Amino acid sequence: MNAVAPSVDVRCFHCGESVPDGVQFAIRYRQRNEPACCAGCQAVAQSIIDAGLDAYYTQREQPADRAAPLPDALREQLKLYDDPQLQAGFVANDGELKDAALMIEGITCAACIWLNERQIARVPGVADVSINYTSHRARVRWNPALTTLSAVLEAVSAIGYRALPYDRARQEATQAKARKSALFRLWVAGLSMMQVMMFAVPVYLAPAGEIEPRWLSLMNWASCVLTLPVVVYSSWPFYVSAWRDLRRGRTGMDLPVGISVLLAFVASVYATITHHGEVYYDSVSMFVFLLLTGRYLESQARAKAGAALEQLAALIPAFAHQLMDYPKSRTTHEAAVTRLVVGDVLLIKPGETVPADARILEGESQVNEALLTGEGLPVDKRPGDRVTGGTVNTASPLIVSVEKIGQESRLASIVRLLDRALAEKPRIAQLADRVSGYFVAVLLVAAAITWLYWHLHDPVHALPIAVAVLVISCPCALSLATPVALTAATGALARRGVLISRGHALETLGRATDVVFDKTGTLTLGEPRIRKAYPLGDIDEAALLGGIAALERHSEHPLARAFAHTPCPAEARDVVNHPGGGLTGRIEGVQYAVGKPDFVRLHAHVQPPPPPESKEGTLLALASDGKWLGWVLLTDTLRPDAAATVAMLKSRGVRTHILSGDAAGAVESVARELGIDHWQAGVSPEDKLAQLKLLQQQGARVLMVGDGVNDAPVLAAANVSMAMGAGADIAHASGDAVLLENRLSRIPEAIAFASRTRRIIRENLLWALLYNVVALPVAMAGWVTPWLASAGMAASSLLVILNALRLARAPRGL
Amino acid sequence: MESLYLLIPLSVLLVVIIGALFWNAIRGGQFDDLEGPAHRVLQDDDRPDGRAPHNEGDEEKNN
Amino acid sequence: MENQATYNYKVVRQFAIMTVVWGIVGMLLGVFIASQLVWPELNLGQYFHFGRLRALHTSAVIFAFGGCGLIATSYYVVQRTCNVRLFSDGLAAFTFWGYQLVIVLCVITYPLGITFNKEYAEMEWPIKILLAIVWVAYAVVFFGTIAKRKVKHIYVANWFYGAFILAVALLHIVNSAFVPVSLWKSYSAYSGAVDAMVQWWYGHNAVGFFLTAGFLGMMYYFVPKQAGRPVYSYRLSVVHFWALIFTYMWAGPHHLHYTALPDWTQSIGMVFSLILLAPSWGGMINGIMTLSGAWHKLRTDPILKFLVTALSFYGMSTFEGPMMAIKTVNALSHYTDWTVGHVHSGALGWVAMITIGSIYYLIPRLFDREQMYSIKLIEAHFWIATLGIVLYISSMWIAGVTQGLMWRAVNADGTLTYSFIDSVKATHPYYFIRFLGGCCFVSGMFLMFYNVLRTVFDGKPVNAPIPAVPAHA
Repeated sequence: MNAVAPSVDVRCFHCGESVPDGVQFAIRYRQRNEPACCAGCQAVAQSIIDAGLDAYYTQREQPADRAAPLPDALREQLKLYDDPQLQAGFVANDGELKDAALMIEGITCAACIWLNERQIARVPGVADVSINYTSHRARVRWNPALTTLSAVLEAVSAIGYRALPYDRARQEATQAKARKSALFRLWVAGLSMMQVMMFAVPVYLAPAGEIEPRWLSLMNWASCVLTLPVVVYSSWPFYVSAWRDLRRGRTGMDLPVGISVLLAFVASVYATITHHGEVYYDSVSMFVFLLLTGRYLESQARAKAGAALEQLAALIPAFAHQLMDYPKSRTTHEAAVTRLVVGDVLLIKPGETVPADARILEGESQVNEALLTGEGLPVDKRPGDRVTGGTVNTASPLIVSVEKIGQESRLASIVRLLDRALAEKPRIAQLADRVSGYFVAVLLVAAAITWLYWHLHDPVHALPIAVAVLVISCPCALSLATPVALTAATGALARRGVLISRGHALETLGRATDVVFDKTGTLTLGEPRIRKAYPLGDIDEAALLGGIAALERHSEHPLARAFAHTPCPAEARDVVNHPGGGLTGRIEGVQYAVGKPDFVRLHAHVQPPPPPESKEGTLLALASDGKWLGWVLLTDTLRPDAAATVAMLKSRGVRTHILSGDAAGAVESVARELGIDHWQAGVSPEDKLAQLKLLQQQGARVLMVGDGVNDAPVLAAANVSMAMGAGADIAHASGDAVLLENRLSRIPEAIAFASRTRRIIRENLLWALLYNVVALPVAMAGWVTPWLASAGMAASSLLVILNALRLARAPRGL
Repeated sequence: MESLYLLIPLSVLLVVIIGALFWNAIRGGQFDDLEGPAHRVLQDDDRPDGRAPHNEGDEEKNN
Repeated sequence: MENQATYNYKVVRQFAIMTVVWGIVGMLLGVFIASQLVWPELNLGQYFHFGRLRALHTSAVIFAFGGCGLIATSYYVVQRTCNVRLFSDGLAAFTFWGYQLVIVLCVITYPLGITFNKEYAEMEWPIKILLAIVWVAYAVVFFGTIAKRKVKHIYVANWFYGAFILAVALLHIVNSAFVPVSLWKSYSAYSGAVDAMVQWWYGHNAVGFFLTAGFLGMMYYFVPKQAGRPVYSYRLSVVHFWALIFTYMWAGPHHLHYTALPDWTQSIGMVFSLILLAPSWGGMINGIMTLSGAWHKLRTDPILKFLVTALSFYGMSTFEGPMMAIKTVNALSHYTDWTVGHVHSGALGWVAMITIGSIYYLIPRLFDREQMYSIKLIEAHFWIATLGIVLYISSMWIAGVTQGLMWRAVNADGTLTYSFIDSVKATHPYYFIRFLGGCCFVSGMFLMFYNVLRTVFDGKPVNAPIPAVPAHA
């Protein structure tokens, strides 16, 4: 392994990230030593292999997430989940066994599921476990006499994943039940339709009188028995919803459906008993089947829209280290965050999430507020500063005093903001419903008039004609026109890395006039890269970077990652991490300091030369004893496709904006480089919202592209929003669409595709309307039989569906 | 043609049986995850030489 | 739990080996009766007469070769996907020996002229009863294994196998209703048109559930496994299953077009045959698209070639079938050799190819070898088999259309243009080509037999341990 040339990028066997030079962690896998990038990956890989689950590495399609070692404190925290009081929320008793739903984080491919299932099943006392491939949710049942929940959670942690109790499981169970019964209703209608058709088709095909009456009667009775479940069971939701509408004094789409199903069935039964008249069993079952198909497709599409708010709560850890006797004693004990009160003193270790809004009493550190502000670089924190719940302490321990909890906290207020923004959304669907409500009322009146007219002129045919009117002009195609197209388009876009999470997104996306970008992490990669090195004196650039890299190998600071690929000739020793400042260490016997200019000046005891001029980025300095060696400028780089994206948007006539919380210099340079005309820097989340509202008042339909929690309310208030897939979880949930691969160039493509979708929806609506306008008078004139009406209704629906399916093919140019 | 007196009720009965079967399957969660099983089948390593030699897993759960 | 740490591979091995053996027997018989059609003098005495051997040929390839292949693979698949040993080793052994006994009895009785006179169900009543018992035992073993499975989900292949087992039991029992008159003679309990209806309800569904559903089960397991890719759309495969169940049962009467049956019952058959095309093609596309992302494997992996070619033939014959069920087409094709060609494109192209591929997949795993003795021989087998099928199908298609056209040709005065013997003479060369095609296919089977024997002797029988797996509810 060591024989490889230094230019070759060595990748971690477990997580696939590149292994920094000089790092020596080995994983023993199938009689070979494989490289690991860090102790965490090494430990996790080793426990996977030791458990006999090494097949994971041959089956997986994607490398794992980088693994963090499991600290003892976490283990202690997991133990708290064994508390029956806490378990009450998400654990059910199933006889002797206990049953819980867990959310598993870190799953990237099918092999992860395989791995987790086996790992959990290895815990003695676990009765069974299954993980849903789509939702990444595990159902575990275990015998409490033999094992504990914490043992299960720990087993998952040991292989580098995180399992959290999923307390919305019960809500979801009811949803799943509804989905199952909808599927079964559909299935019953489908089966019945096929079987009834079998009896109906020969009757249509045979010349009149060829089939003896007794066979006809037998087949009618069989059809009747087969249609009964459709009328009673499959159509039930139509009756319920029609009745609900009626009681509220409204008419919905389901009213004529219910009436025509019952009417046609009763008429058919009457005809079957009296051997007189036509039967419409096939029409009934086909009609119901087609309607339910449309409904089912629609509800499936809607189910994909994620639940936004639950994910925010997951940002707050469940437990905290409480210092009971501070400042007398430093012993900590684990406390549930929900039980904290204002004034409690907590210890926040490096790498942990801050559990509540608090003020720092002791310790200096850096806190990553990326989840809150979207900005990748950690912020320095000193005693007296405030830290916000949900942010991550990156450098060194902090002792804090709790200031705000629960509903008072900043995170909670963001949730409320998001909530309100979501509630303000226009409900286009409601409008469509209202329109079809009127249509239905007209339809009912038309059917009644038809019946009355024919009853006076030709009473034998009055009923079938009225039924035909109801069936043929049922606004099925009208109701299918939009959802089917949206579903098809959603699927096609998802295959191209654009996940639509809300129904209206596509409709609005196609009409977007303005695109507002967040900067960091959206237009830029959100991680620092070396922009320029300024070596001083006789030292060259490689030596300068090499020196810094050698020291930064020992740091977990995000800035250090910029040097991960820099070759460093020598090993640094005695490296000391000075949070908020930099690093000091020894290379080949010489003491060096690297970090912020002020820090370096203090530690190297030397006056800095004038720094290079730059308005943006972060400046690092390197100095050895008494000698200033040089500067390195680190900046956040633009995404490679950002410029092309902006150009494409402009060519479509879409205006582009930047709203960023960053300093003006950085934002301006990005805007200039990309050719974005409108930009504003230093705006708070509330300001962003106000700016957005202003744009909208000027008549713009705004597409907001961002990540990060502070974007969430803005994302929600925009006409339509897109979140970067690599952004925080909450952004996934609140964005109307998610860019899975973070490829900005998908945005103009998606806009183009969305407008194509809109066109197809309009075509569908037009067709459905045209069909109804033509079919209604034809049916009223008595020229169609109910089965022909059913077929006509089906054909028009089919046309709408087929038209929509044109979208399902991979969009051109995408 | 008298066979129709047998075949038609038989077909109705069959439909009912198939319906009950499907209902059971749906309630039993057979269709909850319609992606995973395709992968699970691949994960079952049935090559004669690719098996891990350990058998700790075999003693567990005798319940 | 007693000795449950391994899978029962023994019964799978037995059935797998017998699949190859019966394949050779059945196909040799086919070649022999094909040569009887070319050289009638080969009809040697009453016992080896075409009329008796043809029934033996069809039964041997469908039930002996196909049946053993289905049982072997279903036992393998149900164990592996349920993560549990077969329900009962004793009962499984009984199914093997019982099934072989049924086949041997057929091999003896058919040439002796002891038959029930129903197509694809020629066995006399004592054998019928034995088969029914064996089949019930098979169902008990299969569903018993599913019942004690350790994996919550029942993989789609098992659904297909399960439908195949249940439907065949139902079909066999309904169709076999008999009135015995002596130990070796019985008559159908039905009469006249009803008997014909029941017979073709059986005949069609034998194709639907034996030759389609069962082998689709095979396809849904072995294609993904051999390709190393998950099924293209698992969702579609589940829909495929139910769609097939919905429609297949009712398409039977098309076999009776232009017979004494009422026109309207034939019409049902026609309509449903056409509807059937959708699920069939859905299944085929699902199978073939499983290879997306692994197409390159086709170049180097002859087993995958077998499986994918089988799917192509499945698609082809499921298109050809409904087309032939259209009355106007049927008017030309019925009673001609086109039908024979159609059946063989299904039987050789789909059934045999998918079975051969699956057996090649199984044999090394059952005998603790990394792969078959010779991959080159599999490759050779594939090409010679494909050549055989192409010869067979094209010659029969031409022969069939020729026959159809000649039979319907009339002179201006309304008399027939050709006598029947004219059409026989016209088709004679094609019978020879068909014979060549059959020779190709059966010689491929001999290559397979040699390859299997070498693999078996190089390896040793193993029962694979059952991997520890998450238990289920």
